[in-house]
Amino acid sequence: MSDRSRTLTRLGWVAMWAALLLTPLFLEQFWEQAGLFAMASIIGAIGLTILTGTTGQLSLAHAFYVAVGAYGYCYFAGHKTVGVESVAGLGLPPVLALVLAVLLAGVAGALFSPISARLRGIYLGIASIGLVFIGQHILFNATGLTGGFNGRDAQPFGLAGFQFQQGSPDITVNGIEFGELEKLWYLGLALVALSYWYARNIVRGRPGRALESVRDSEVAAAVMGVDVARYKAAVFILSSMYAGLAGVLMALVFGRIVPNTFGFPLSVDFLVMIVLGGLGSIRGAALGAIFVSVLPRALDHFSGSLPLVSDAGGGGLQPSQAARLVYGAAIIAVLLYLPGGLAGIRRRLRRDSDPDDPVQQPTGGPRLPSHDLKETAT
Amino acid sequence: MNQFVELLISGLSLGFVYALIALGFVIIFKATRVVNFAHGSILLLGAYVVARTHGSLGFAGAVLAGVLAAALCAVIVQLVILRRLRGATTDTLTIVTIGIDILLATELTRRIGTKVLNIGDPWRDHVVHLGSFSVPSARVAAAVVAILVLAAFTAAFKYSDWGVAMRSAAEDAEGAALMGIRLGRVAAGAWAVAGALAALGGVFFTTFPTPGVQATVGLSALTAFPAAILGGLDSVTGAVVGGLIIGVVTTMTSGYQDHIAFLGRGLGDVVPYVVMVLVLLWRPSGLFGTKEVTRV
Amino acid sequence: MPTLTEEGVNGLTDAVLHVRDLSVRYAGAVRALDGVSISVTEGSVVAVLGGNGAGKSTLLRAISGTLGLQGGAVEGGEVTFRGQDLRGRDPGTVVRSGIVQVPEGRRIFGELTVEENLRAGGLSVRDRGARSRARDRVFELFPRLEERHRQRAALLSGGEQQMLAIGRALMSEPELLLLDEPSLGLAPKVVDRIGEVVREINGQGTSVILVEQNAAMALAVADQAYVLEVGRVSLSGTAAELADTSEVRERYLGIPGGDTDDRPHPPHAPAPSADSANGRPAIRELDVEALTVRFGGITALSDVAFRVEPGSVHAVIGPNGAGKSTCLNVLTGVYAPTSGTVRYGDKVLTGLRPHRIARLGVSRTFQNIALSPAATVADNLLLGRHRLSRAGFLSTGFGLPGARRERKREQGRVAEVAGLVHLDAQLQRPVAELPYGDRKRVELGRALCADPALLLLDEPVAGMNPDESEQMSQTIANVRAELGISVVLVEHDMAFVMRLADHVTVLDFGERIADGTPAEVQQDPAVLRAYLGGSPDSQEAAG
Repeated sequence: MSDRSRTLTRLGWVAMWAALLLTPLFLEQFWEQAGLFAMASIIGAIGLTILTGTTGQLSLAHAFYVAVGAYGYCYFAGHKTVGVESVAGLGLPPVLALVLAVLLAGVAGALFSPISARLRGIYLGIASIGLVFIGQHILFNATGLTGGFNGRDAQPFGLAGFQFQQGSPDITVNGIEFGELEKLWYLGLALVALSYWYARNIVRGRPGRALESVRDSEVAAAVMGVDVARYKAAVFILSSMYAGLAGVLMALVFGRIVPNTFGFPLSVDFLVMIVLGGLGSIRGAALGAIFVSVLPRALDHFSGSLPLVSDAGGGGLQPSQAARLVYGAAIIAVLLYLPGGLAGIRRRLRRDSDPDDPVQQPTGGPRLPSHDLKETAT
Repeated sequence: MNQFVELLISGLSLGFVYALIALGFVIIFKATRVVNFAHGSILLLGAYVVARTHGSLGFAGAVLAGVLAAALCAVIVQLVILRRLRGATTDTLTIVTIGIDILLATELTRRIGTKVLNIGDPWRDHVVHLGSFSVPSARVAAAVVAILVLAAFTAAFKYSDWGVAMRSAAEDAEGAALMGIRLGRVAAGAWAVAGALAALGGVFFTTFPTPGVQATVGLSALTAFPAAILGGLDSVTGAVVGGLIIGVVTTMTSGYQDHIAFLGRGLGDVVPYVVMVLVLLWRPSGLFGTKEVTRV
Repeated sequence: MPTLTEEGVNGLTDAVLHVRDLSVRYAGAVRALDGVSISVTEGSVVAVLGGNGAGKSTLLRAISGTLGLQGGAVEGGEVTFRGQDLRGRDPGTVVRSGIVQVPEGRRIFGELTVEENLRAGGLSVRDRGARSRARDRVFELFPRLEERHRQRAALLSGGEQQMLAIGRALMSEPELLLLDEPSLGLAPKVVDRIGEVVREINGQGTSVILVEQNAAMALAVADQAYVLEVGRVSLSGTAAELADTSEVRERYLGIPGGDTDDRPHPPHAPAPSADSANGRPAIRELDVEALTVRFGGITALSDVAFRVEPGSVHAVIGPNGAGKSTCLNVLTGVYAPTSGTVRYGDKVLTGLRPHRIARLGVSRTFQNIALSPAATVADNLLLGRHRLSRAGFLSTGFGLPGARRERKREQGRVAEVAGLVHLDAQLQRPVAELPYGDRKRVELGRALCADPALLLLDEPVAGMNPDESEQMSQTIANVRAELGISVVLVEHDMAFVMRLADHVTVLDFGERIADGTPAEVQQDPAVLRAYLGGSPDSQEAAG
């Protein structure tokens, strides 16, 4: 990459972060919530793209680990309540609860590793669906922990006496009152930045190379000294921890979590995010996550002004349905016409403008594991 | 004891319905190496067409219409979308079917809304008494029809030109192509048959004792997934055995709900997945599936 | 292109199949054929010879319309059959126009019965009567198939499977039959029988293109012959003429020329010692004892034993299907042997998982290239450093100083190795963009990055042109001279082996048929038989 384009890239990053930092000063609550949900999705999608894109382990269990993180946080941070909705809680400080919830998701991932190490390709993918359904069953029935069908409240976040809840302490900037969402916005940004940075380091470093080699040829990886079973387990745990962190953030944004949020469709959403973004690309996962999480909300928001789309009960296409149709069509269109996903577009543009760029889109590229182990041409 | 036998019979009959659906997964996988996530929606389409047309065409005519519609839809998916992606990995194709499922399911959900449509079947809520056991007539019909269809399929698979072409292509697509077998036709045929089987499964999936055609039927048909996987995704026998296992296990679990209340409500919906995970732990390619071979 | 006779190129009038100036590329990057021209006259047998990776199978795929299934595409040139253009035709249409290919490795449908296999071969014929007549003819040609027609094809012996594959192709009564290495992995007697079968089929009026590595058999039955090398026709002429050329005699018939002694480096055995400063494990001797490997009913290796002296280059040679790659797979722990042991120094390798064996300083390359295509050359080489580096999920993820320092250090080492294998300029390019020969060098580089004490090379020059092959041989000689490590070399290219090896073990049908110095092995009658692929008569016919 030339110096000039490197400078441009840096400037772009600075501008983006500046915009993100100032956003809460302008946005309405609705968009803040959408943005926060997108942040949670980004974190989860990054975790899944390391597992499925970089390592080639197809997983549809992500929703389960997101749930573990979300409910784990509520349990660790929440207080024990008795009454109609009696749920258990440890009442730990929220920061500690966050860390513990992420670790808990990691442990849950480790528990699945005997299965993930044995199964391959689509068998792993579908076995992991099983985990989502089993998880749902537990969420509905372990009412003492989860609150059952009605769910349970998430303890608002706080950091060393600084409470995120409305009004404690009051901060007003530029005439805008800094409420819980605004504070969460910065927490979310920090977590996204940390997740992104960590994932980039991993993928570009020694563990990432080992994971990629496991995807491309388990035999070659093992022969080069990579302990394939250990790396597969490790990446599953890592991915679960990302999902867990996403879950914690979701719990904080929603304020109350219910089991239906964490069903099979959420797992599919995550898979679609990373495929739309371009498998194995961290940036792509982030773009895909924004697209998938913001699209239905945006359509919902603008339903009044969009043709064909009407409000709920209006008889025409409901916004949520319109979003689903766009979403389904986007999956098909991207796979048919954009093999590299959203991240591929940028790479292509850069390639056009900078022909000497050595990091161009290769023909190989990350792929899901294939069933045909065919030898290549003679 | 009485209850046990009744549950067993109704479990087996439900199992045959699952077998029809699971067989669709298997046929498509064998012919094109794609796991069809749109199968539930195609099934729902078939059932929806039956529910909409039985008034004018009569039940038999409506079933025929539903089967044709589902088969046509499956062929369109194969020809219009999946064929364009030649050279893509099979799992990319699998994700495309998720996109197709979302489109189909959304449109059908929009049409059905919150209604429960009647399929117009002649069995309604009648019950057949076999000795001291009583079983819903619709379930008996399901078992009979499913057995006949499975037998016909097996015969065609084993003895017809189509079957030989299917099995050759499934074992070695390139080898089959070199023998002049047209892979495109084999694939389209497989999708058509799978779609037809799904529609048939859809009919019996929405007869008594289930309430009728609802938007959620497509999702609950996903229960055939564990059936296909635990039998082995590339095994016809596996699909039937897997379907029966899942049918019996779910029916038993729901029937004895009270005895295992400590495991929570709605266990019948989860137990297929539990069984699947356990079987896969024991045999990673399912009961009858072919093991993947690593070559260097 | 040295053409011995002009007839092959100019005999346009009576030729049924014409391939003119054909170029083929796989997945954008690898060019497999480059301006190949071949013609087949009515009723003749045309042999196409060449080593692994020469482009023989690609040529057949271009004719049979199956290139697309492998991600290949015709870039230029034309293929015509009886005046019809075959480019872009799907395989079904090609079969219906009268050309059928018997694929390499037979690829019969193992789960189907013999009868069903034949039926699958005849599906393109609509007329049922014609089908049953064709079946009768096949049974007449191969009575064995009729005896076993109800059995699952997977249960047939290798020779019977080849007969079935040919019979299956004959079911559509082709005018032109393409045979891709029918003698692969078969016993000499069976190979002779296949030669006869080809003659019989040809005698009934079917033209045949016979792609072979077994040059003796192929030249004995063929009228015309072509030699492919790295995607180009390097020789062509009548079979008899070709059998007389020194290139074919030396390279494909294994008959030594006079120049086997010009080794780039005379063999020398450096003192086997632990170079602890380098972190390189001690160079030990490798002992393979009574190794047997079975897959189902097939015995891939049977009671094989050999010893690799520390610091020597030990070649394992043999025809395709002799068990060479299986042997490497056992040495590296990829396959578990049915019985027998492999000892490396005082360690027993059998039973260890591959990454454990790698940690003992055993490294290997893959014949079919097992690199990460999307990753850069540098990243692929860095994977070779995996066992020698430490950075884990914590230190890498959080960018700790230790991980950064390690990365710097390893990048330095990778740059050194890249220099050794001449890849300095390509370090930042993704492997997918590299030509085949460069990818082979990345394979070697990656193995060298692991600082091995024992280096296993699986056909390092397969598919390379003579220049690349020469360079590779220099590189390996340099590596051995500078590092003093042991090298086990599996190769087809006899000249290459004879130049480099100190010691040669010859395998055939999974059995060791000879063991000794290159000179000894070359004189061994068993070896000559294995390579010439037949009885002494067919040797004479070829020679």
